[in-house]
Amino acid sequence: MTITVIVIALALCAVMLFYMAVRSRIKKAGQSFRPVDLSAFRTLIDREDELFMKEKLPRSKFVRLKRQRIRVTARYVGRIASNASAVLHASAAVRVSPLPEVAAAAAQVTELAAQIRIQCLVAWAKLSLEYAMPSLQLTPALLVPRYQTLRENVRRLGDLQTQSQIPLASAI
Amino acid sequence: MSGRLIIHDLWIGSIVLQVALAVALLAKRTWQNFPAFAAYIFFCLFEAGVTYALFGNKVAYFWAFWTCETIGIVLGLAVVREIFTNVFSPHPALRKLATMIFGVAVIALVLLACAVIYVQSANATGMVNAVLLAAEAARLVEVGLIMFLFLSSSAFGLHWRQNVFGIALGLGMFAAVDLVTVTLIGHVGVTTQLAFKLARGVSFSASLFIWLGYLLVPEHATSGAEVPKRDQLEQWNQAVMELISR
Repeated sequence: MTITVIVIALALCAVMLFYMAVRSRIKKAGQSFRPVDLSAFRTLIDREDELFMKEKLPRSKFVRLKRQRIRVTARYVGRIASNASAVLHASAAVRVSPLPEVAAAAAQVTELAAQIRIQCLVAWAKLSLEYAMPSLQLTPALLVPRYQTLRENVRRLGDLQTQSQIPLASAI
Repeated sequence: MSGRLIIHDLWIGSIVLQVALAVALLAKRTWQNFPAFAAYIFFCLFEAGVTYALFGNKVAYFWAFWTCETIGIVLGLAVVREIFTNVFSPHPALRKLATMIFGVAVIALVLLACAVIYVQSANATGMVNAVLLAAEAARLVEVGLIMFLFLSSSAFGLHWRQNVFGIALGLGMFAAVDLVTVTLIGHVGVTTQLAFKLARGVSFSASLFIWLGYLLVPEHATSGAEVPKRDQLEQWNQAVMELISR
């Protein structure tokens, strides 16, 4: 009986998942690039002051502040992930360009965006762990240099592909 | 109108839809990009024809139906594999990781299917129940893999091409409803069995509509107009800055 319940629950979860996928696809149809303030993000993930706060503040206040910080960081990571996803989608069309250098640059951008998505997943996992255990310090430090490289590559792609130069390069 | 008559009408309707889908596949040359899906659709059409012809002969119908169902499930799994390749092949950075997770998912689902067969085999007396149990295990693997595809592509932020999304959605919807049907149909009375058969027929027809719709409607192209204007970007930027300085 238990196994039957599990199987039925799985099937119902599948139907829910498909419904959510359709909704998310409709939502994503209007998805576009959103800006990320990298210097602010860098300040947020630089946690040298965390030890000071830990020493000076009562534990409850420290935990509350740290969780607040994690929530904001997670929003930034979410925005970077969303932009990387939009780049994946936008560069897919450019990858079939008849100009080899444009196609190669688009392939590089796609590759990097995919790596950023993986890094974002890792960052979310780390942030979740930190949220559960605020005394942990797991900074998603790899994300900033990767995102900067992506920006540079997208800009290069924009230079090569004059038509999409302004929007794609300046949007992220 | 009786339940049996509705099921019969649905059957005829689904055959008409399958013919339309087969014509669309041929006309749009979709079979070149999705050979497994095309094979699945043509086989479903063949199955519908054979089982309709054998409907009067109960024994022949039973064997023809379940043989075709087995082949259909195998082809369904091939379609899942095709979707996976289609979604992840343009992204070499993700493909390796996704293939590894896909392998783990296959092993986990096969183990779950084996557990289902092991636990329920004691109650599955007779040929019909044994066949239903095997179908349940196979559908479980199929539904699980389609769920994995949706979850992983969402986690990696991948945008599915319209026809790939349609194929996965249609197959997933039908497989999920069929999983519920084959799991419960052996444990319920005749009237409820009829309701399950009706639900299965409706879901298959709905899947055919989904496939037809996604194959026939032209794909929405990404345009430059979707990218936000600079002042809009600055407004968003300002909002995030305010969020940080809170």
